[in-house]
Amino acid sequence: MKLELGNIFIHDIQFDRLSRVEKGIIYINEEELKAHLLEDENIRSVSCDIAKPGESVRIMPVKDVIEPRVKVEGEGGVFPGILSKVDTVGSGRTNVLKGAAVVTTGKIVGFQEGIVDMSGPGADYTPFSKLNNLVVICEPIEGLKQHAHEKALRFAGLKAATYLGQLAKDLEADEVESFETLSLIEGIRQYPDLPRVAYVQMLQTQGLLHDTYVYGVDMKQSLTTMLYPTELMDGAIISGNCVSACDKNTTYHHLNNPVVRDLYAKHGKELNFVGMIITNENVYLADKERSSDWSAKLAEFLGVDGVIISQEGFGNPDTDLIMNCKKIEAKGIKTVIITDEYAGRDGASQSLADADASADAVVTGGNANMVVNLPPMEKVIGHVKVADTIAGGFDGSLRPDGSIVVELQAITGATNELGFNRLSAR
Amino acid sequence: MILITNNPKFQKDPDPRCDTEYMAGSYRDVLIVVRDMIHQGHKLLSHPLSGSVKPNETPYKSILISKSTGSLDVDSLQIIEDSISTCDKFMKNPVKYGYNNQDALLADFSEIDHGLIEVAIASASSR
Amino acid sequence: MAKFRVVHYINQFFAQVGGEEKADHRPESREGFVGPGMAFKAAFGDEAEIVGTVVCGDSYFNENLETATKEVLDMISSYKPDLVIAGPAFNAGRYGMACGTVAAAVEKELGIPAITGMYKENPGVDSFKKEIYIIETKNSAAGMRDAVKVMAPFALKLAAGEDVGASAEEGYIPNGIRVNFFEQKRGSERAVDMLLAKLAGKPFTTEFPMPDFDRVEPNPAVADISKSTIALVTSGGIVPKGNPDRIESSSASKYGKYDIEGVFDLTESTYETAHGGYDPVYANLDADRVLPVDILREYEKAGKIGKLHRYFYSTTGNGTSVANAKAYAAAIGKELVADGVDAVILTST
Repeated sequence: MKLELGNIFIHDIQFDRLSRVEKGIIYINEEELKAHLLEDENIRSVSCDIAKPGESVRIMPVKDVIEPRVKVEGEGGVFPGILSKVDTVGSGRTNVLKGAAVVTTGKIVGFQEGIVDMSGPGADYTPFSKLNNLVVICEPIEGLKQHAHEKALRFAGLKAATYLGQLAKDLEADEVESFETLSLIEGIRQYPDLPRVAYVQMLQTQGLLHDTYVYGVDMKQSLTTMLYPTELMDGAIISGNCVSACDKNTTYHHLNNPVVRDLYAKHGKELNFVGMIITNENVYLADKERSSDWSAKLAEFLGVDGVIISQEGFGNPDTDLIMNCKKIEAKGIKTVIITDEYAGRDGASQSLADADASADAVVTGGNANMVVNLPPMEKVIGHVKVADTIAGGFDGSLRPDGSIVVELQAITGATNELGFNRLSAR
Repeated sequence: MILITNNPKFQKDPDPRCDTEYMAGSYRDVLIVVRDMIHQGHKLLSHPLSGSVKPNETPYKSILISKSTGSLDVDSLQIIEDSISTCDKFMKNPVKYGYNNQDALLADFSEIDHGLIEVAIASASSR
Repeated sequence: MAKFRVVHYINQFFAQVGGEEKADHRPESREGFVGPGMAFKAAFGDEAEIVGTVVCGDSYFNENLETATKEVLDMISSYKPDLVIAGPAFNAGRYGMACGTVAAAVEKELGIPAITGMYKENPGVDSFKKEIYIIETKNSAAGMRDAVKVMAPFALKLAAGEDVGASAEEGYIPNGIRVNFFEQKRGSERAVDMLLAKLAGKPFTTEFPMPDFDRVEPNPAVADISKSTIALVTSGGIVPKGNPDRIESSSASKYGKYDIEGVFDLTESTYETAHGGYDPVYANLDADRVLPVDILREYEKAGKIGKLHRYFYSTTGNGTSVANAKAYAAAIGKELVADGVDAVILTST
């Protein structure tokens, strides 16, 4: 399967009468977009705002971040099974508005989390401070239950990203990248001497506000299965995960999965990136056994020499991570796992909720309990009072001057377990 | 199977698919009761640290254990003990939300805990 | 800007007083730098100077912990230093324990920043890494230049009250406190590199070491203890009076094997303890308190055990490295098996 990504570099977003992309600027007809999103009866009102890198702006609470993409050539459409038909994606050509993102905000629960600071010390801890963000603030109708609220926001974000993505359909790309995964047999013939590597991605699937969808299917309903890595680039996996801002994977993370990118970077040169195994993180223990048994089984079936395993979440998933690691190592396949840590504010506590000697190669996204001081920002988009209730925030978190003292936990993407960031710990 | 829980949603509305043992008490108290029952030979069926809401944030915890007992299940013991350690680690810095609608906040925590364990009950019931 | 005043603590060997035979050298104080202090002086440049050096023999220090620490601390504080450097001790166990004790005491009692340097397997590491920063060094004095290169700037940083970064950034042995920092490459790239190294059998360093799991499966219970041969092994340092094999009071480099054929009781005149890590008075008065020969002889007589094995094995556990302890155990175990011993009572303190 071969996919070309046509990157159109964006350096500004502005509201204008006509929605279009010109010379690296996205112009948005705000009313048109709002009307489109208000088609969802569960949404009472929509407002939009723009946040750019370097501005004294704080966005919170952040629900999801999505990159605008559009299918130009090839089967299917971006976000298959959700906003496009279920046809298999990952081949042909997809255009990307690079440097831009849709950020949804919304207080789904009282403790809703996710802070993105566009400047200041907080900006260093989130990749979204470097993007030109269209912030979409949706208010639900009165009395809407949490799961319906989450779904409404989820679709609003994807629809907004798709709306913007459409603007790129006929554009000429500034840069084209190409990614190809051969079939197993072709891959063996092409790269007989290279070590065979697969990527095992663990997806958050514990339930309410902790879900992930693959081609529109709730991943908790699925057995561990396989994907071509390029399918992710067309939005095969999208986020319904709302809790723990620092280590949940936003849809942006899924579209730009860094393990996929970095394995492709060495594909055909130092390794043969054979494919992806996606697995879930369940509450029921027997389901965990089955899922991890299958991860190991598929890895063995693919005949790989090594895997990278990435996690999503904390606590319960630490057990899945260790199960996957142990069982795959027991098959004689070498593993490297990517996780983050909750080592306490002083860094002295046990970082993970589970452990095993076979997990001898670990990459960490850092200690999520580290406390940071976020200075006041001139503008807050979203809900400012939320700071006191944000995960990782606490009573007195929000100072009268508008500064916030929080743990890294509260910053969207801060300790990402796909290895998206350079943050680490020793 | 038995549901050990301090979530009032289950007290009001128990799930018919399992025996509900509602208890008043803290998140940690629930973990301790489950630990004690594991020592008595029950098996752990759901992971005690379900959900990404941290132990120092939510007061509610629901855990599924087997109704039948047997010899001590070491894996269950390991998991519950690790969970208690994790809980204690987080409780060094308990989070007191400054939100002025505590009822709504507690309702949210209750809803999430309920939602997550319901998934486990459904899985357990399908066998 | 005023220069930082530094005091350097070293042992008898690095002070050129002598080798092992001078390990009982009492604490002494000398002006300026001595021995390896010269390398530190060069590395400090204008920012600090070694105003004094305190020297103490490793045996004297370890066998007189309380008094020696106080003497050394008094000598150090008389120089009114801003910073104290101990060692580096590389892989020398007793020197490592001394450096660790001195540095920790300086921090705690004098409130002055203190650091040292050690090889990662030095027993001083596990004992002190949580109290003071220990820069990781090679395992012998051949690593002096590299050690100073890292220790000097780090020490200046502490003296200046600057923030300390993660262990990987600063070069100190991970002390269990996780510190965030930004790497050059993102996590996924580091993961790919790590996997390639692991697949090629090349060395790699995990970013998060799993907690230590040395789990040993217990053997099944002794079938019939009244018919078994029981051996006594101790890390409590019980030895024949006079310590004929010169087992060290800490960081033991050997173990002893002693014949107790015909011995029914350990007495003050026949046995003693070599262990320097506990108050020896009661063990010296009656070594049975640590090695219960008398009780086992009674059991033998009463038929409660088959018999007490003819030999007992002894070493000091104080500051002995895990690697050495494992090696002694393997050797001792081999002999016990060959001699038909059924079970061992292992005593420690």
